[in-house]
Amino acid sequence: MTQAQADDTRVDWEAALVQRACGGDSRAFERLYREHSGRVYGLCLRMTRDVQLAEDCTQETFINAWRALARFETRSSLSTWLHRIAVNVSLAKRRKASPVEPSLDDEEGTGAATEWTLETPVEVREIEAAIEALPDGARDALVLHALYGYSHGEAAQMLGVAEGTCKAQLHRARKLLRERLNVEVG
Amino acid sequence: MGFSRLAAAITVLFASAAACASDDKTTFERQVPAEAHGVVDISNVSGTVVVTGWDRPEASVRAELGAGVERVDVNTDHGRTSIKVVRPHPGQGGDADLHVQIPKDSELTVSAVSADVTTSGVSGVQRLHTVSGDITAELGGSDLELKSVSGDVKLKGHGQPARLHVSTVSGDVHLEHGAGDLEAGTVSGTLVVSLDSARSVRAHSTSGDVHFEGKLARGADFDVTSVSGDLNVRASADAGYAYEVSTFSGDISNCFNATPSEHGHMPGHTLQGTRGDGAGHMHLKTMSGDVQLCDRK
Amino acid sequence: MSGADERKVGSLRELSPAIEPARDLWPQIQARINAERSTAAPPRPARVRALPPRWLAAAAVVASVAVGVWIGRSLLPAARPGAQSPISASRESFADAPTALDVAYVSDPRYQRDRAALMKTLQARLEALPPPARAKVMASLAAIQRAKQDLQNALGKDPGNALLQELLVDTYQDEMRVLTDVQASDAGREI
Repeated sequence: MTQAQADDTRVDWEAALVQRACGGDSRAFERLYREHSGRVYGLCLRMTRDVQLAEDCTQETFINAWRALARFETRSSLSTWLHRIAVNVSLAKRRKASPVEPSLDDEEGTGAATEWTLETPVEVREIEAAIEALPDGARDALVLHALYGYSHGEAAQMLGVAEGTCKAQLHRARKLLRERLNVEVG
Repeated sequence: MGFSRLAAAITVLFASAAACASDDKTTFERQVPAEAHGVVDISNVSGTVVVTGWDRPEASVRAELGAGVERVDVNTDHGRTSIKVVRPHPGQGGDADLHVQIPKDSELTVSAVSADVTTSGVSGVQRLHTVSGDITAELGGSDLELKSVSGDVKLKGHGQPARLHVSTVSGDVHLEHGAGDLEAGTVSGTLVVSLDSARSVRAHSTSGDVHFEGKLARGADFDVTSVSGDLNVRASADAGYAYEVSTFSGDISNCFNATPSEHGHMPGHTLQGTRGDGAGHMHLKTMSGDVQLCDRK
Repeated sequence: MSGADERKVGSLRELSPAIEPARDLWPQIQARINAERSTAAPPRPARVRALPPRWLAAAAVVASVAVGVWIGRSLLPAARPGAQSPISASRESFADAPTALDVAYVSDPRYQRDRAALMKTLQARLEALPPPARAKVMASLAAIQRAKQDLQNALGKDPGNALLQELLVDTYQDEMRVLTDVQASDAGREI
């Protein structure tokens, strides 16, 4: 049996749950929810900075996912798919709740990859507070890239901006974090 | 720490077994980097899954694969490490015995059918699901969600508060030295729970008995119901608790010399009262199960 | 957040992306899903499974018949639409007999439909369990049936009894939980 044939016959645990959920099994969907809710809520909360909005966003993400499950390709990552939905929902909720922030021009950023290391260790709550204080665009890009591990291109696509804009937002985030935390961010 | 010694013993046993694996078993080993607070997903239909937490930023997998098990897939992607036992024909194949070491603060999910699952030294959130496999887990201070259809569940904590959600159909549940918020449900299994400090307890059984022993935190909510199972509660609370015990046709006994009242010409008994300052709230209800309520010694 | 917030990290990548909501958001999600399902198209047909090896077929048929007979005797009468429950019957005798439970469960079309869907696949799921697990689950389902019967009989005598009503609701919910857990147990076999 070739690798491709093995991949074809192998049924992934998560894919099995997705398939059951597609068939109307809400219990299977609940297991998917339990699996992914923490990361979805974390994304919504950091993007909206409001607990109530984040809860609404999380619920709407999973309800939208339930509706669109038939279109999900089980070979791709379910968490990435859910995060895309969560980003769209968060952006829409945020636009409704507060005025649109002026867009950032494609200013020059280093473009270099960064590991987001801190010169000296900092308390988690201090870092989370600093992230929360970032402007929307910078915060969105930072959360998707540094916390969730998406590439510049993936983060840009999720946020609906050009890759250059995303890199500029990350450069801005790094600069603001450095000022706020008073440590070098590598 | 009993669980660490157990885990160490299991590690030694496993290493020896791997060194002299029999002809129809193959061994598998793989190490991958893993984030300190990443997510680890493990899936195995049958055999065993033993997970221990450690301080290294990597996941180490050692396995003995029985006939019919094709391979073990180990993948990492954006902070998520996935370990899956693969069989060429779903639902068929032999056992796979997995021993996995992960960063101790990982968020762990284990999905099994008949595989027995054991965890120790894991401080992150744990989600452990089996159909008929038994689950033995050490609580690490983070939330825990445990579901089994018929497997038995044994949990051992260290008195650190956490949210615990345990559900079985017929498996028994034994919990020692838990703390925090507990939600436990079973149809016909027996629940035996000991909590060092309970903020809230919600437990329900259909026919299984429930035994609770522990200390209620100030203002704790304690709600246990059963249709025909017996309830046996031994509780203490520095700030006391108000209690209400109701049963339709069961007996109520207590250590407070309190007398249950009857419902006139209708069946049923109720016992109400207060212990100490009455800051907490306790409700015990059954249809036909007997209820016993005493102080914890 | 917990005491973990006080720990120090040397990189943003060490921050945990996941944050657990302070409350369980699933009940509201489920309520919306259920509301949409009641007007949704019928579910997709189940996947076609490969036939078991021939030499297992005879044993499979025997086990299948045994489980099927048990299900028919123990579980199906409660799922028959229009069957009059003791609660409905007792309404004729007691003016203040509860109607909320009837609406909530016994005659609710959504409950009937969901339960019927789970019952259709129950036999196959039970047969797929290892025999000791199957026996335990069947014993639990039987315990639930006995509990329902006992509670309904008791409510027939004392229909306004809040304790019995609460326990009966719990028991209906337990049965659905068991049926869906057994349904979901088959997902694990496809790893």
